[in-house]
Amino acid sequence: MSLPELSPKELTRYARQLGPGVLTLEGQSRLKDSTALVTRVGGMGGPAALALVMGGVGRVIIAHGGDLISPDLNRQVLGCEAVLDQPRAPHFADYLRSMNHFVEVEAIDHEPDDDEALDLARRCDVVLSCPPGFEERLRLNRAAVLAGVPLIDAAQWGMSGTLIAIDPGRTACLRCVYPHDPEFEELFPVVGAISAAVGALAALEAIKILSQTGKPMFGRLWMIDGHQGRTSMVELTRDPNCPCCGSPPPAT
Amino acid sequence: MKIRLVISGRSYDAAENLPDELSLPDGCSLDEALQAVAQLMAEGRPLPESCLLAVSGTHLGTLGQHREHALADGDELVFISPVAGG
Repeated sequence: MSLPELSPKELTRYARQLGPGVLTLEGQSRLKDSTALVTRVGGMGGPAALALVMGGVGRVIIAHGGDLISPDLNRQVLGCEAVLDQPRAPHFADYLRSMNHFVEVEAIDHEPDDDEALDLARRCDVVLSCPPGFEERLRLNRAAVLAGVPLIDAAQWGMSGTLIAIDPGRTACLRCVYPHDPEFEELFPVVGAISAAVGALAALEAIKILSQTGKPMFGRLWMIDGHQGRTSMVELTRDPNCPCCGSPPPAT
Repeated sequence: MKIRLVISGRSYDAAENLPDELSLPDGCSLDEALQAVAQLMAEGRPLPESCLLAVSGTHLGTLGQHREHALADGDELVFISPVAGG
């Protein structure tokens, strides 16, 4: 199937990301032809969605329920004080659209359940999982595994974050890493700087995957420990008996 | 032999009282090293069972469920206590 062409105005918009060290024209066209799901679009998902939109991913689907509240504004870059106490999804989508009219932004005003997550994953070329808790992250993991779509799992706490890149059927999935649901703190502490960093890196991985540029970190967990100023990269081991991605194929 | 200790994630504060390097008998197993680390932890503040374990970049499982592994001098034992937040 042929890739979409880039207009002269698109070439101008993406001029700084075309050439040595960044993307080829074909890579940029691949982005234009791609669909990404980002859910949720809070501390990490917001910067991730913004980077995807600014980078020219053709269709970006965002999902996030509820209204924006003041504590969100220490990290939720898609919000602003003018939309406090208003629904996040439509306002976040409007802001994203204002950043790049060449990109289509679709907003879902709730977090997808199991069925919807699978439907969405099947529509996408990559899923960026940026919700706060393990229940949602594992739901998105299951959807990505069943749909056979790459998943970037992003997480944060305090001044630290992790990124995991999953290539379903080939590398460890999130359940391989967390065979039992870990603890989750509802009022998690977070400094916005780590949210932005992790979200942007998640987007970078997605852009690499979609444009077929560079080396995606499939099968690896990247711990960014901002508290101690160190990083760790772990080569993840896939569990052949994983209830999510192990053989035989999981029941749908 | 000596191994390096790295503790990151939600249990970052546990690292503040642990040495960067741990001396262990030659041929020490991972489980023996984990017991040594547990003894150095502040009382009542153990690492969670869900803590991801890796040795020199290789994932071995969690603190509660992991493969056995023979340690070597210079290995890096990494504990990543799961982070979650959005």
